[in-house]
Amino acid sequence: MAADLIGPRIGPASKRRRGRLAWLPPLLLLAPTLCLMAYAFVLPLLTFFRFSFHKFERGRLQEAFSLDTYRRFMFDEYYHAIIFDTLRMAGIVTVLSVLIGYPLAYAMWRIGRPAVQKWLAVLVFSPIIVSVVVRSYGWTVLLADQGPVNYILQRAGMIDDPLRLVYNLTGVLISLAHVFLPFVVFPIYTSMVRLDPTIKEAAEDLGAGWWTVFRRVTLPLTLPGLVAGAQICFTLALGAFVTPSILGGGRVLVLPLHVYRATADINWPVAAVGGMVLLVLSLLTVASFNRLLRYSEVR
Amino acid sequence: MRTRNRIPPLRHLLLALFSVLAGLFIVSPLAVVVLNSFSSVAYNVFPPEGYSLRWYRNLAGQDAFYGAAVRSVVLALVATSVSLVVGTMAAYALVRYRIPGSDMVKAFLLSPIVMPKIVLGVALFMFFVEVGSLNSYWSLVVTHAVVTLPFVIAILSASLVSFDWTLQEAAMDLGAGPLYTFFRVVLPQISVSMIVAAVFSFIISFDQVETTVFLVRPSSNTLPIEMFLYLQKWQDPTIAALSTVLIGFAIVLVVILTVLFGKGALPTRLAAGQKAAQKEESS
Repeated sequence: MAADLIGPRIGPASKRRRGRLAWLPPLLLLAPTLCLMAYAFVLPLLTFFRFSFHKFERGRLQEAFSLDTYRRFMFDEYYHAIIFDTLRMAGIVTVLSVLIGYPLAYAMWRIGRPAVQKWLAVLVFSPIIVSVVVRSYGWTVLLADQGPVNYILQRAGMIDDPLRLVYNLTGVLISLAHVFLPFVVFPIYTSMVRLDPTIKEAAEDLGAGWWTVFRRVTLPLTLPGLVAGAQICFTLALGAFVTPSILGGGRVLVLPLHVYRATADINWPVAAVGGMVLLVLSLLTVASFNRLLRYSEVR
Repeated sequence: MRTRNRIPPLRHLLLALFSVLAGLFIVSPLAVVVLNSFSSVAYNVFPPEGYSLRWYRNLAGQDAFYGAAVRSVVLALVATSVSLVVGTMAAYALVRYRIPGSDMVKAFLLSPIVMPKIVLGVALFMFFVEVGSLNSYWSLVVTHAVVTLPFVIAILSASLVSFDWTLQEAAMDLGAGPLYTFFRVVLPQISVSMIVAAVFSFIISFDQVETTVFLVRPSSNTLPIEMFLYLQKWQDPTIAALSTVLIGFAIVLVVILTVLFGKGALPTRLAAGQKAAQKEESS
């Protein structure tokens, strides 16, 4: 155990006995993590990066350096369509989740009874514990042609023929919004709890109606939470794999699915370049949402 | 809500209605699975044509699922133990000591969170093929440890930041050794966070599909992979029966943890872990 090697009394609080070996204890404590990360994160990504510069021809891998695969992603419309579909899916899911998540967080925040509040929180956050496979499967049953949703709509006389809700983009969008909802509700709810109630009271005392209070006080002050929730949702949606494969029925070809298939077909260069594109998209998302977050906090 | 209004305003009623609908949205995919598992026919039809336990009998006869479940639990336990021990050490070092560039180190350690899991999965697959350790059990453990580690580090460093370090100073000044101090002074203070981190890590490991799908052989699938592959081939309610069992376990877990932590704070804490991780990442 490295723990007994912790040098005593070195640290921010006390600077006694700061010896020449002061760097040793933290290094020993970090060593296992760094080794693990080097072996199972850095080296694999380097391998991955290397394969993106290879090429796949006539069913075999060409180990020579080549930018061919990148070129295909840059200029082939087939790949453009996949990238566009992935971004569109993530965008719609994010909008959907925020539209459901914001009012839900608001309701959780405003409910007067602690017991109801507690059970609503359990209800919203507990699905995280259930596997994504199970939740996606649930949606295939719920949205099936003969499933409950179509049954109710038909009984209510709103439609004559069952809607095609499953094994297409619609099903994927609904199911993903369900899967990511807790991750959107939470940051929004946190930002609401942190809100200083006196600001709202001041606005009310000055004669603002509920709508003005919401539009001029609550919404601007909880915007960082909303942006953070959208950031989490968009990033997760870009990399979503299980739900599009179960609910897409092969018709929703997003980037993660394409990467999976290319890997299964031993076309590693395409898998690697697809993955690189996905990685860059995720990093761009995180960066641009961080930018947005800064703007939203200024006000 | 003001008490002088007898009838709540329309907007509150609308909000309540919206919450009920949202609650329905959250629960219905799980409820329908439970309902479907008692169906008497192999195809999905609503309302069910009849009720039976045949899918549970069918499930009981499927050894593949049983083996996969055991493998998943064991793997999640092993991976959680690894990432909990290793991650606590790292979080302690990051919070307790002044490390040059510690923000960079932390950002690096938390970066697997934003990485699309499928990218990590393919990268690990290629790497393990290259070094020839694809079929080793340790590759799987290491993979799950890397996926869960950032969450453990995020949760525990958040908890250690608020720890009162003068307590540790006091214990050491009174002559307690470093290990004794850690286990008797620091650990009790962060134990709740450690339980939260362990639960979080277990759930993430147990639910891994994207990374694991490339690393397991058909004969040694984990449970989510087995279910995922089964769903690609069949759609009969055997999966519903299995899902119902899993939902049952999830409910039991929620109840136990709710009782353990009181006031139903756990799901909030779980989400707090996610949030803490994301926050660290974006800062």
